[in-house]
Amino acid sequence: MNQEMTAGASKSSATAAKKHSKKPKYRLASEIQQELLEGSLKLKAAFGELSKAGRRLEDSRFTQQELPAWKPILTPAWVIAAFVLIGITFIPIGLASLFASERVVEIVDRYDDGCFFLNTNQSLLLDYIRNPKSNKTCTRRLTSLLFSVLSNLTTLIFQVPKKMRSPIYIYYQLGNFYQNHRRYVKSRSDKQLRSRKGEDEIKDCQPIAKSGEKPIVPCGLIAWSLFNDTYAFSLKNKALTVDKKDIAWKSDKEHKFGSDVYPKNFQSDGLIGGGKLNHSIPLSEQEDLMVWMRTAALPTFRKLYGKITVDLEANETITVVIQNNYNTYEFGGEKKLVLSTTSWIGGKNNFLGIAYLCVGGICLFLAINFILMYIFRPRGFYADAEEEEKDEEDY
Amino acid sequence: MAVPLNTGYATSKLEEPPSRHHPSAPIATQATRSFHRNGHCRRELLNRLTMKRFVYINDDDLSDDLYCDNRISNRKYTLLNFLPKNLWEQFSRFMNQYFLLIACLQLWPLITPVNPASTWGPLIFIFAVSATKEAWDDYNRYLSDKKANEKEVWVVRQGVKKHVKGFNTVNKAIVVYVLVFDRVAVEWEVSMAVQAQDVRVGNIVWLRENDEVPCDLVLIGTSEPQGICYVEGVIECPNPDRDIRRFDANLRLFPPFLDNDVCPLTIKNTILQSCYLRNTEWACGVAVYTGNVYGWLQLLLSIVYSLLLFLGNETKLGMSRGVPEPKLTAVDAMIDKLTGAIFVFQIVVVIVLGIAGNVWKDTEARKQWYVQYPKESPWYELLVIPLRFELLCSIMIPISIKEAFNKLKAYREFMVDDKHLDFVSLDLVKSLYAKFIDWDNEMVDLETGTPSHATNTAISEDLGQVEYILTDKTGTLTENKMIFKRCCISGTFYGNESGDALKDVELLNAVTSGSPDVIRFLTVMAICNTVIPMQSKSGAISYKAQSQDEEALVRAAARLHIVFVRRNANILDIKFNGSAIEYEVLDTLEFTSDRKRMSVVVRDCRSGNIILLSKGADETVLPHASAGQQTRTFSEAVDQYAQLGLRTLCLAWRELEEDEYREWSSMFKEANSTLVDREWRVAEVCQRLEHDLDILGVAAIEDRLQDGVPETIETLRKAGINFWMLTGDKQNTAIQIALSCNFVSPEPKGQLLLINGKTEDEVCRSLERVLLTMRITKSEPKDVAFVVDGWALEIALKHYRKAFTELAILSRTAICCRATPSQKAQLVELLKSCDYRTLAIGDGGNDVRMIQQADIGVGISGREGLQASRAADYSIGSKSEIVVGLDGNLVVVIGDGEMLMAGGDGDFVLSQGDFSKIIFAGPNYGSSVQFNSTSSFSFISGVSGTSLFNSVSLMAYNVFYTSIPVLVSVLDKDLSEATVIQHPQILFYCQAGRLLNPSTFAGWFGRSLFHAVCNGGGHGLVTVAVVDEATVMVDDQREAALFLLIGKIITGNAFQAIVVFVITIHAYAFEKSEMEEVSMVALSGCIWLQASVVAIETNSFTILQHLAIWGNLIAFYAINWIVSALPSSGMYTIMFRLCRQPSYWITMILIVAAGMGPVLALKYFRYTYRSSKINILQQAERMGGPILSLGNIEPQPRSLEKDVSTLSISQPKSRNAVYEPLLSDSPNATRRSAGSATQFDFFQSPSRLSSSYSRNCKDN
Repeated sequence: MNQEMTAGASKSSATAAKKHSKKPKYRLASEIQQELLEGSLKLKAAFGELSKAGRRLEDSRFTQQELPAWKPILTPAWVIAAFVLIGITFIPIGLASLFASERVVEIVDRYDDGCFFLNTNQSLLLDYIRNPKSNKTCTRRLTSLLFSVLSNLTTLIFQVPKKMRSPIYIYYQLGNFYQNHRRYVKSRSDKQLRSRKGEDEIKDCQPIAKSGEKPIVPCGLIAWSLFNDTYAFSLKNKALTVDKKDIAWKSDKEHKFGSDVYPKNFQSDGLIGGGKLNHSIPLSEQEDLMVWMRTAALPTFRKLYGKITVDLEANETITVVIQNNYNTYEFGGEKKLVLSTTSWIGGKNNFLGIAYLCVGGICLFLAINFILMYIFRPRGFYADAEEEEKDEEDY
Repeated sequence: MAVPLNTGYATSKLEEPPSRHHPSAPIATQATRSFHRNGHCRRELLNRLTMKRFVYINDDDLSDDLYCDNRISNRKYTLLNFLPKNLWEQFSRFMNQYFLLIACLQLWPLITPVNPASTWGPLIFIFAVSATKEAWDDYNRYLSDKKANEKEVWVVRQGVKKHVKGFNTVNKAIVVYVLVFDRVAVEWEVSMAVQAQDVRVGNIVWLRENDEVPCDLVLIGTSEPQGICYVEGVIECPNPDRDIRRFDANLRLFPPFLDNDVCPLTIKNTILQSCYLRNTEWACGVAVYTGNVYGWLQLLLSIVYSLLLFLGNETKLGMSRGVPEPKLTAVDAMIDKLTGAIFVFQIVVVIVLGIAGNVWKDTEARKQWYVQYPKESPWYELLVIPLRFELLCSIMIPISIKEAFNKLKAYREFMVDDKHLDFVSLDLVKSLYAKFIDWDNEMVDLETGTPSHATNTAISEDLGQVEYILTDKTGTLTENKMIFKRCCISGTFYGNESGDALKDVELLNAVTSGSPDVIRFLTVMAICNTVIPMQSKSGAISYKAQSQDEEALVRAAARLHIVFVRRNANILDIKFNGSAIEYEVLDTLEFTSDRKRMSVVVRDCRSGNIILLSKGADETVLPHASAGQQTRTFSEAVDQYAQLGLRTLCLAWRELEEDEYREWSSMFKEANSTLVDREWRVAEVCQRLEHDLDILGVAAIEDRLQDGVPETIETLRKAGINFWMLTGDKQNTAIQIALSCNFVSPEPKGQLLLINGKTEDEVCRSLERVLLTMRITKSEPKDVAFVVDGWALEIALKHYRKAFTELAILSRTAICCRATPSQKAQLVELLKSCDYRTLAIGDGGNDVRMIQQADIGVGISGREGLQASRAADYSIGSKSEIVVGLDGNLVVVIGDGEMLMAGGDGDFVLSQGDFSKIIFAGPNYGSSVQFNSTSSFSFISGVSGTSLFNSVSLMAYNVFYTSIPVLVSVLDKDLSEATVIQHPQILFYCQAGRLLNPSTFAGWFGRSLFHAVCNGGGHGLVTVAVVDEATVMVDDQREAALFLLIGKIITGNAFQAIVVFVITIHAYAFEKSEMEEVSMVALSGCIWLQASVVAIETNSFTILQHLAIWGNLIAFYAINWIVSALPSSGMYTIMFRLCRQPSYWITMILIVAAGMGPVLALKYFRYTYRSSKINILQQAERMGGPILSLGNIEPQPRSLEKDVSTLSISQPKSRNAVYEPLLSDSPNATRRSAGSATQFDFFQSPSRLSSSYSRNCKDN
């Protein structure tokens, strides 16, 4: 078909050529002129097109502000759909989070007051806690959260409420402790921690920068106030090993704390703050220090102490021997020991679940309201506008 | 020579060659050249002592640097002073001072919560951006100056005598004919072209047609047939001043040949800088005032002076231009105010937190052994904590300011806008807006291809705020092209059907059949004028006329076969139907504005008859008709034509007796040579001849309006914008134009009130009458405009400023005629002082001051040169197309490009008190979120002033994350151009916020405070508040809004801030509360929320919006991943850890849902149930629904007094007051309108007057 057509076309052009050839061989000058003129006109037209095209490129839709646009408006359908969608996705997520959080088994024990009777006079207390020689050992039996209230009263035998699967994380929780205090949080030297060369970079560390004339490594208030309570766990009179490896961030061990940096002049004289460090172990292996130096943003915080790598069965009784060294009595801080399992959402925290359920519920509620409003007063829209206009006229 | 009947000429135009005024122009010979040469010092001394300048003509002593050269400089800076000057300027703004203070405080390590870089970085960046922009602008100014300075100008120098070569032979050897008094021509070569900047005082400048005049010149010769005179002498003229109407100088000749060797020169003998030479083949003049930079000799002096004086252009226009002040947009000014307000708020916060901090420190922190507070602290210790908080709070300002900026703007527009403009991006956005103007194809002048250009990039957003447009007439509204349209010859109307007399078959027939009346009529048209026909080689005849009216008449006559072929000295050649007729001009009775007519006395060379031909305004011609003639038809014709907006001229003639003429002629000569009261006496003599005229007919001429002008003005007036026409033109012409371009509605709706008078009393009375009328009629649906002329305006502005201000506020339309440039500027100033936003449009040099004075100046680069467009903020070509949308910015360009009006800045989105936005969303709310989080954080960090966010995040957040969505917000369109153009009323709603009644200080303060508290406290009580809010918004004044705003910035954003904060600290409690992580969670929460807010506020998503909103979000993660990958950074691995945690993502979603849910709900509620006009339009536009009428707006002037409407007294229609024929006498109309106004005196007691006064005049 196509071929036929092209053939036809070529035929007709051939006949046209024949016809043309019948014309006299010479052509009038005017004719040539005419042709030239036409040619030039065509050229001009072509150039015009070209320049137009160029101009079009130049004056893009952006410069002319004519980009294709999606212009959504808030139709009832859209809005109601959005709210329903939020509602029906949030409620399951909320339930899931809540469930996960509920599955976490957590044993919390506040021991700062339990290890020391609160009715003792404050100065005695401070003398006791400040005196390095006083015996600070305190034996506790851990219990579930439910009964913790009772723990202050008498020493009872407490049990693990539910089976706890390993790893079980041991945290110490400090309350009313402002690790985010400006003066505190700035008092450290990352350079010094990172490598030996930075040993003298102590200008940020005031007031704990030097011991005599020598720089303190690690310097600064944070390191100086290192938490130094220790816990020894036993289960059925058998010691439970606490795994203290890998409690710090891997990145801290590898990059923030140098393996060639050894503690120097740390807590050596003058004011003694918190814990001491073994001067023969490089900072990169002092994981307690690393954990401590990850300052907390909130005044109540938990820090990882170690891990228990065995499962704990329900109703098993754990005994803890605490070296109650750390001075929170001076400022009324709390110390708690926390044993907790973990879930995909982290530790026990009902907040997200509840928040999700609330938001989802409210959204559904709003959606229903909007639907009702839509049914009873479908479009206040134009009517309103008219009313307003009338109002204006009335004025 | 007659002065043109039409004074459509702007004042700057070349009015008349002076040689005509001094027919016996003084002459000197070359021999005496060096006769009077003085040394440098003596001259200088002379100048200084006499406060005069002596211009030695063609003194080729070029080393004479007494006066400045002709270099034009509009530059603000030089290379040397750029840095200090620019910094000084930038720091003169309160906000910048504040930032500097903060930045300096940050250098004190004890108190700085974050790295100083987080403030210095943005600060330097901001300054760099601003400075770069300034530098770029200045560079462009320099380029355009350079172009002007390097323009070639021909200067006549004493040269070698050369052969006469004629004018057109060789360019470089143009010859000046020097006419010596004995009429012997001496030729001098014109020297090479020099650059415009090298023209010196005393040089003789040679101009050809269409040249731009490089400096102020005293004309000494033109191509006019009367010949040229070349003078040797000194021009004694006053030191430069700015009054362009006066120039009182003397020309002395060396040696004093004639008895009166002092020849007075007036402004008429000058042509001023930047005018164009028109209709004159050439002219030459002596430069008297030049340039604007002092010569090098005075450079040292000038440095000293420059501290005290404005060193500027010495030319008249240059001086009258005034000092351009940097224009601050309303928003800028508001920002500065707001900064102050926020600053105060900050101080409160700082004091409260500071005290809390110190107390906490003393009670708690001393117990916190691990913090190790020293026992004894230095004296400044108490200050440290407050200062830290000040620094923390400082984060709030840059950002919340711009937020406030947006809100404020929105309030002014009676709607709330939530563009996320922030400090850094503001300038960029402005530039982008400006760029869009440059780019817009629809604003390109189609004829010349001149694109529009935004010179001042800083004031784009003010385009939408314009309330008053002040426009020049000639060349702006009209094309300045006159066309003969209709005529009435001895009772027969031609051109009534077709609208064009030249196409009227009847008229053509009458011409061919040789109807004597018609022939006479056409003859008067052809020769009663001062037109000079120019015949080119091909035989085509072109006409050179000073008056466009005359040219139109001559052309029309030529079309009707009576062709004015040649003017040969006094012989005029007319060609009629192939036969040539010669007329000898015996006398020309010139046009004066008092006489309002001109006549010529000619002798018909065939018959020898002497004929008087007259043309003029009807009221000056018709009364002189011969006794028997009925003139009723003619006055009817005049009325009819005037109603059509045409300019009318009555043509008449009379045959004179030889004796009569001779007698008169001698009187005329005598009168012409008198020295005392010459003009008056000449007029009197003319009067004696111009009587018993045989009225031939009425010719009607159209001063063509630019295309689309009426429509555009209509549109803009619908949008509630008021128009004032300021013109140097005559009253009647101005009124005609005003009528024809919809300035004033036609009868019976419109009414014109005239203010005039020559003395104070008259003006005062006139003014009061108009005021009374205005007050009474304003309640009626009437268009009342007042008309004032320059003289009355001068008096009114000087002595009755208050009354005039009131009038200005009351009337939507005004016509000011005969206004000088400085008066134009004063009017702008007046409106500005009433707190109106003004836009001035003009095309000529006489508009420059007005353009610079106005908030927004628009210059048209057209026939009148580039002066206006150089001075303007926006320059547009004279033939740009009609309507342009600039991001939903309604930019309406009137007709062939004459008016530019922009509206709304794309902020049509929201309507009255868009509640949801006020409360929940916030531009840059994120930073407030930060602020709030930070301050909340301060309570859990022991009020010690720790920053929740690290330095990098803070800096990045301020500079980067929040800027990009803002940039894109520029591109957001609320409504499409078409819709806006269709419903210009919408613009009015954008401005409606400005029409609110002021209430007492206590009132609005209390209310705003209440609302701030209410809204802050009761987010839940949304529905109640919506209603409440909407009603209160109507009453609130702008300042109230300001406080409301501050309250809301704090309370409103507190909502989202609290959402982020609460969720973060609860979701990341206990073992997760690692500082870096928590801060990153909070920051990403901010970013997420911000993206959602931007998304929900965006009206149209183009690819750019998507890119900016989502791209920004992605960029946030990308950047933080990169930073997290750097071991040395504080947040090493943080982002990776977070992204692996499901709880992080869950938290983000929660933040978005909790933060945006209420916003969406409220927005929806408002949109559906409380929709604004804009919402309605949006719905209609996007869903294709019917657009209900928005209702017509009759924008009321501010502070209406409702009780006035009870005094509805019908105004007697004074039709003639409106439809004044073009050349009719104005007092007539005054009397009428004044007469009608007087009767209201009874109703208005003086006390009422004064009370309404105080309410009407907004005292600033």
